[in-house]
Amino acid sequence: MLLSRRLFNTISFRLAALCALLFAVILAVLLFFNFSATNHALEDQLRTRVHEDFNTLAEEVDSESSDELVKEFDERVKNAPSPGSYFLVADRQGNKLAGNLSAIAPVVGWQKLPGTVAGKPDHERAHEIWGEGKLLSNGLFIFVGQDAFRVNVAENTLIMSYLWSGVLAGLAALLAGIVLSRGFLHRIDAINQTSIAIMQGNLKKRIPTRGTSDEVDRLSGNLNRLFDNNQALLDSLRQVTVNIAHDLRTPLSRLRNKLEDARQQPRIPAKLGEQLDGAIAESDQLLATFSALLRIAQIESGSRKKAFAPVSLSELAERVFAIYQAVAEDEGRKLLADIKPGISCLGDGELLLQLCVNLVENAIRHTPKGAEITLRVSAPAKLEVADDGPGIPPDQREKVLERFYRLDQSRTTPGSGLGLALVSAIATLHDTRVELADNSPGLIARVRFQPT
Amino acid sequence: MKILVIEDDKTTSDHLRQGLANNGHQAELAADGKTGLAKARTGNFDVLVVDRMLPQLDGLSIVKALRDAGNHTAILLLTTMSGLDDRVEGLEAGADDYLVKPFAMPELLARLNALARRPPANSVQTVLRLGGLELDLLKREVRRDGQLVDLQPQEFKLLEYLMRSDGRIVTKTMLLEHVWGFHFDPQTTVVETHMSRLRAKLDRGHDKSMIITQRGVGYRLVA
Repeated sequence: MLLSRRLFNTISFRLAALCALLFAVILAVLLFFNFSATNHALEDQLRTRVHEDFNTLAEEVDSESSDELVKEFDERVKNAPSPGSYFLVADRQGNKLAGNLSAIAPVVGWQKLPGTVAGKPDHERAHEIWGEGKLLSNGLFIFVGQDAFRVNVAENTLIMSYLWSGVLAGLAALLAGIVLSRGFLHRIDAINQTSIAIMQGNLKKRIPTRGTSDEVDRLSGNLNRLFDNNQALLDSLRQVTVNIAHDLRTPLSRLRNKLEDARQQPRIPAKLGEQLDGAIAESDQLLATFSALLRIAQIESGSRKKAFAPVSLSELAERVFAIYQAVAEDEGRKLLADIKPGISCLGDGELLLQLCVNLVENAIRHTPKGAEITLRVSAPAKLEVADDGPGIPPDQREKVLERFYRLDQSRTTPGSGLGLALVSAIATLHDTRVELADNSPGLIARVRFQPT
Repeated sequence: MKILVIEDDKTTSDHLRQGLANNGHQAELAADGKTGLAKARTGNFDVLVVDRMLPQLDGLSIVKALRDAGNHTAILLLTTMSGLDDRVEGLEAGADDYLVKPFAMPELLARLNALARRPPANSVQTVLRLGGLELDLLKREVRRDGQLVDLQPQEFKLLEYLMRSDGRIVTKTMLLEHVWGFHFDPQTTVVETHMSRLRAKLDRGHDKSMIITQRGVGYRLVA
């Protein structure tokens, strides 16, 4: 159903439908001309025969008296009425005097009579009669006509054949449209799927090309080059980040070591010792931030993917719950577990543990005392951490997944602002993402993994 | 202890030598991989501290070369990497422990102590004892002076690790790695929480605490 709706929404299908419509209009105009020309020809043929009949009559008509004319007509009808020929003689008032037609209004000139006037009740079907009426000098009205059945049949046949060919042509155009847009859709789908894969972090994915250098192929090629550039930029950005973090780590480490050496000196005044401890703690915090950055970069590089193996999400969550139930309690929060057993996914166990720990710790740290936190694992492979704390405003939910982004309310909470960025990087490595939603009240962080 | 430090960064190796000397160890230095490997082969060291990245011969190759030659000296690898893949690679090559630079000197000392006096791998003990403390690994039971101490599984695991450390200092990082399998720094007081619960249960009804906190360093279990 969805496919057919998508099909009707495609540009190529709409184009095909438009072409079919245009084709139908042109066909209709052509057929109309064809039809009227054929019709005219047939009518002319019939008219000629009427004229011939008139002409044979005409020699006698004018010279004879009305009685003789009537007798002559009667004879004609009785003796040898050529099939399909009709005659009528009527007086001034329109009363029938002779002929094989019932009385008609004495109208001069060409006219088409409905089938009911043929006066042949046993006739299977009432035929139209086309003919010409004339007013004679002696006041009589004569009408000579021909059965128009054949012309009518020919017209009907023509109309039917036009209708059928129209319907067939329309169906053919529609079918062609569907087939064409299916083919087109397929290629557009490939572009879409590649884009989605790239957005999900599979930066190496490219759109397949056919080498036909048609429009779609050229578009795909250009997009692929765009993706190449994009990846190169991202790679260099990542490399710069890693380089900075890496290069600053060494001097920072030395600084830290020197502070530690100084701290080890004998007879250090208590005050100075405290200051040195503070300085060491500060440098440790800085180094921890760099470590986290490097770790994110390493996760983003995707190198861990090759070591993916089935991981029991249920057991992992049970482990985290067992460790953190006491921690939450000491922090004045309540940690609950709603873990369905036997659920597993493909992934990196160590990183998935960190993901789960970070989400739980995040909930503990960013909720007020007395908050309830639920760690949930459900089918097919969904991990959720829900709390009833202040939550995150909808417009900031994506931003908190970025590096160093912190909500105003949590600026005072210690932390590097990298916890959720790390969670996000781990999720991306597992071809999924972190969904942050309203738990009304509170926040629910959800990650759907690929079940095994 | 006699320790060989194979490290090319002079600031780091000086810091290491001073720190080790201050704590009563005898440290020898090597500034590149080849020299380091040669010294490791000939000298009789208790522990080797090997940097992962070295000129001429990198740390991993040194570890592999020693292990291939049947040398089982305890080795601690040092690295400046974020340590995701490196830890696994290092341990697979045959290193016994792994430490990411920079590290606090007490952390290194605690790990070196743990490495140097590691019990033989094949010793199977079902009951661990320290003073009046008895931990039965099969029954999952703990008694202090014959009295049953009711512990949660997390606390039991923690105590087991402390008892296996045989009175030596264990750092927070060591506990996180070995007790809970965390190879990252948690943002909450995981170690403190479980340690204080374990301490409260062990010391209930006793005057003397068995768990000693060494500020800024770690914990120690004493009889």
